[in-house]
Amino acid sequence: MIIGVSLISLFPIIYNVYISFTNQNLYHFRHYSIVGLVNYGKLFKGLDADFFIVLARTFLFVGVCIPLFLIVGMLTALAVNHPSVRWKPFWRVALIVPWAVPTYITALVWKFFFNGEFGTLNQLYRVVAGPQAGLPWLTDPNWAFGSVVLANVWMSYPFFMVVILGALQSIPSDMYEAAAVDGAGAWRKFWRITVPLLRPAILPATILSAIVTFNVLNTAYLITQGGPFSSAAKPGATDFVMVYAFRNAFLLFNYSYIAAFAVVIFFLLFTVTMGSLRFTGLIQEDAR
Amino acid sequence: MTVRPAELDAPLVARPRTATEPGVGARGRRFLSRAAAPVLIHAFLVAMVIFALFPIFFVLQAAFRPGQSLYSLSLSLWPDHPTWDNFTYIWTQQPFPTWLRNSLAIAIGTMICGLIGSATGAYAIARFRFAGKKITLITLLAIQAFPSVLALIPIYIILKTVGLVGSPFGLMLAYVAGALVFSTWNLKGYFDTIPRELDEAALIDGCTVTQAFVRIILPLSLPALAVTALLMFLTSWNEWVMAQTLLLNEDAYTVPVGLWGLASNYRIPWGYFAAGSLIVSIPVMVLFLGLQRYFRSGLTVGGVKG
Repeated sequence: MIIGVSLISLFPIIYNVYISFTNQNLYHFRHYSIVGLVNYGKLFKGLDADFFIVLARTFLFVGVCIPLFLIVGMLTALAVNHPSVRWKPFWRVALIVPWAVPTYITALVWKFFFNGEFGTLNQLYRVVAGPQAGLPWLTDPNWAFGSVVLANVWMSYPFFMVVILGALQSIPSDMYEAAAVDGAGAWRKFWRITVPLLRPAILPATILSAIVTFNVLNTAYLITQGGPFSSAAKPGATDFVMVYAFRNAFLLFNYSYIAAFAVVIFFLLFTVTMGSLRFTGLIQEDAR
Repeated sequence: MTVRPAELDAPLVARPRTATEPGVGARGRRFLSRAAAPVLIHAFLVAMVIFALFPIFFVLQAAFRPGQSLYSLSLSLWPDHPTWDNFTYIWTQQPFPTWLRNSLAIAIGTMICGLIGSATGAYAIARFRFAGKKITLITLLAIQAFPSVLALIPIYIILKTVGLVGSPFGLMLAYVAGALVFSTWNLKGYFDTIPRELDEAALIDGCTVTQAFVRIILPLSLPALAVTALLMFLTSWNEWVMAQTLLLNEDAYTVPVGLWGLASNYRIPWGYFAAGSLIVSIPVMVLFLGLQRYFRSGLTVGGVKG
């Protein structure tokens, strides 16, 4: 059975490696041939190759998103957990809702919000700035990047809120009382007690979330389709790794090129996954 | 800072101070901030809830708004003449019931196949020593690290070669392959917590290994099985990319693919999309919010492992 599981799930990956050495695409679907490392050469042909642009942009996206998730998740968790807050279950559930709605729906809702003409955000902006005004939410490259970040923060902060909230509740309150007796202020209590005790919960969540964010597709593709594009040959402003792969494979049909792309990305992700497992000490427990 | 007796008595409760007390400068400000803190925190929570819920509210009002009026340039929070028109339209004029039936069939099929595969696989990993166990574990991790979007290319080519592109059955196979890895890890973690003595006792009493698994382990892991099954169901129910790529004609569409078609075309009133979204996401939200207390332990640990 376990072999069956491995085979069903593993076979596509092995087959993918094979495709990456061929020239299979829409025109050579049945009659393709082995071409060796041509696809890999195309990936690494220079520092301005699509691969590096897309990778750098995705890292930037992860680098911007993760701190924002952490800050918003931490602030909401601390607020919900504050002793003076009433109706805690209500706040908790209301703030988790963005996580509960399927992402393909929320991505399309945000796309509507960002629409230049009818979009809710520009309608609100016109109230302040006059009837002709409008912000280029999805038409300017930098704005589009920011728009996708905004939508992504909305979708992802509840995960951090739930993780941090759970960890906060396991911190014994007498630690804070002892610190208060010793004269520590709120700021000091936060950095000296809360943060160190939250670390074991936050670290794995951050690594997991970084991998998920790196693999973002729905949010970016459904909102921008990878655009705006400056020219047809170059990746667009929100062409993150998976968006780029999806577009090239299923709109441009460069199967073998993206298969090679997939192999490289896979090694990257696998290294990160293994590294993070060793780092968080989970592998020892499992590989007894 | 030295601690004065007055603070030792009630260190966490702010005592009103008068201006004649010593230390009014810094301490007076701290008292102020303590009194203001609950107000500020509640204000922050209200702002965050508006941020969190506004998109949901927007879908709700759009679903009840008649026709094209969403594309007007005026702001209004709630439609003047709310109607059920959007709901009746997608239910009768669009193949929405068919999409719903397809989604349901695929999700239930994925859940059942995935559960059988992952429960037996997880039991083998949790209880038996066999050659290549460590390799299997690492392979499972490796598969999990391979993003499903990238696996989509070989899956597409394989399915196309065997003639299953466009068939809901092919899509289900792809979902099962994706679901097995995470579910196996998740269930293995749970099986590990069941004491080995229980199945050893059953074996001594004359049970076969299969009986021990079916009679002892499965009943004990019902909560974990239920959560894993529901997660597989939800993943399949909410999946868009694979369905979009692997399903070709409208009769085979699942709900996400159908709704994307409705939303991506600006000539089709957006209200139809909103009404359809509401129908599919309300059950999902109820399920999800009911499950959320399991997430902290199950999802984060299982997710990082897997």
